Amino acid sequence: MANRIHEIRDPIHGFIKLDSEERKVVNSRPFQRLRYIHQLAMTYLVYPSATHRRFEHSLGVMDAATKIYDVATDPENIYHDSVRKLVPRKNELEWGYWRRVLRMAALCHDVGHLPFSHAAEKELLPKGVRHEHLSKDHILGEHLKPLFAELKIREEDVAKLAVGPKYYGSSLSVWESILYEMIGGNVFGADRIDYLLRDSFHSGVSYGRFDHMRLIETMRILPREDLGSEEPDLGITVGGLQTAESLLWARYFMYTQLYFHPVRRIYDIHLKEFLAEWLADGRFSVALKDHLAMTDNEVLSGILQVADDSSRKGHNQARRIVDRRHFRLLYESNPVDVEKNLKSVELVYEAARVEFGNDAVRHDPYESEGGSEEFPVYLRDGSIESSLKLSETLRKGPSFSVDYVFVDPDCKGKAKLWLTENKQKILESR
Amino acid sequence: MNRFDKASLLVALTEKLRASGSWAGETHIQKAMYILETVLGVPAGFEFILYKHGPFSFDLRDELGSLRTDGFIDWELKSERYRPSLKPGALSDALKKQFPTIPERYSREIDFVASRLGNKNVAELERLATAIYVTKDEEIERDARAARINELKGHVSLPEAEAAVGDADGLIADAKAQFANVMAA
Repeated sequence: MANRIHEIRDPIHGFIKLDSEERKVVNSRPFQRLRYIHQLAMTYLVYPSATHRRFEHSLGVMDAATKIYDVATDPENIYHDSVRKLVPRKNELEWGYWRRVLRMAALCHDVGHLPFSHAAEKELLPKGVRHEHLSKDHILGEHLKPLFAELKIREEDVAKLAVGPKYYGSSLSVWESILYEMIGGNVFGADRIDYLLRDSFHSGVSYGRFDHMRLIETMRILPREDLGSEEPDLGITVGGLQTAESLLWARYFMYTQLYFHPVRRIYDIHLKEFLAEWLADGRFSVALKDHLAMTDNEVLSGILQVADDSSRKGHNQARRIVDRRHFRLLYESNPVDVEKNLKSVELVYEAARVEFGNDAVRHDPYESEGGSEEFPVYLRDGSIESSLKLSETLRKGPSFSVDYVFVDPDCKGKAKLWLTENKQKILESR
Repeated sequence: MNRFDKASLLVALTEKLRASGSWAGETHIQKAMYILETVLGVPAGFEFILYKHGPFSFDLRDELGSLRTDGFIDWELKSERYRPSLKPGALSDALKKQFPTIPERYSREIDFVASRLGNKNVAELERLATAIYVTKDEEIERDARAARINELKGHVSLPEAEAAVGDADGLIADAKAQFANVMAA
């Protein structure tokens, strides 16, 4: 059969194209499963239209990563001999090989996600196992490996670029590291570009948008001359600096408004607690067969059944989700209290547990968002400088953390009063 | 180590690198922390893998982001002629006051690393840390280490790699002479 090009309509990227061989990967069981994994867990209980799935996000990451690759490896966009030595020449066999590997890695980077994505990942997998390990196992496993063989690419190469060195478990070459940055890069990888835009689009948090097309057009592979090293990083030309700044702000707004929203966070906690009681052995199986059979649908079905049967494990947590009787925010980290006592949230949590009992209080422990905004920028005079030197916005840019204490709605009023009366004393303790 | 202990360790490291003349960018902190953990056995719990400019910890990268969010470190641009460097942030004094134990316990180790790395630029740090990585993490045979560095980092020439192996051996030997737990690291 001829290798045809197929198009999938997408609200973020327009038409996403893939050929017949690649479509077999999309049609595989591990990838089709992503149709049933919500991108943002139970965020739809706060933002009703945020019901999009990992499926379309993964297609979007493939599309964005391909565009980055095509721009960054275009000979006209390579300015240094050290980079020319590293990058395969456009349209030669090796260039096409890595383009294909990159596309499949971007497509499959999330196939290991648990039901409801990140919501229950840390607590409900064996120690040290993350969804990236399951993504790697699927990529090397019985469903996908034969399809990569048909595409004439090595499954190990796909796995490396999909999950990166931290989860692949061995080092990447300099070239592979650049390709991994195109997908999973902390500053402006395709994964981040797609999830910010897509989550913004579906949630209605419109200031999560930025000019991603301009950003991608300016991406370059640049040696770190500014650091005195020839090792290259993924960077941009100076013309993309403002859109990189707007990405930083988009990220800040998305975290403050959506990802770290307290009601969204407490639903994650109720979901985790439900799963810990409802699942056999109290956690997810990492056997690939079991993983393929477990999606949001199975969990939601379980929640609805258990909510109506008080004899079933997880009943109380299921009721909280179904009846929207989630815990309410009692206290959160704030600069004034932190200056008095760095452990302010932990102390309030411990004191509240003593006062109201373990069952009535929950702690959503510290988590922050504000990674490195450092990358090389190619200037009009041909020199390279650090983004942090050129942009005060990136240097002084916003970052955000959360640390919440929640209480049972039945004792919210009493707890608020108690905290007002006792906070000072709590903060003075060590 | 809890997150405040790690934070106080990293703030102390940043301060001492600066005092030793280091530009103290992220790469400097990454390589200094790698040597503290791998050579000197300071148990901060960061896992390193060969990546950007040598051994690199994704967790440490995220930790540095958190430290900035929390006001424990901050970027500083002394003037337009200089590159931005990390400095203790607005809440670093409170951190040092409330969590002094770890920086005090590992003060000598931090001094050692700061004095050995303070005058090195990123390229030198990259070569030295990669040489330590192939020696201690990959356990490559002594005579094959320079070739391995050249293989891993094509932009590092063989003579540069050989010099880096010599520097790494010197640093490890000095550390062994000064610290009891180097062999176990």
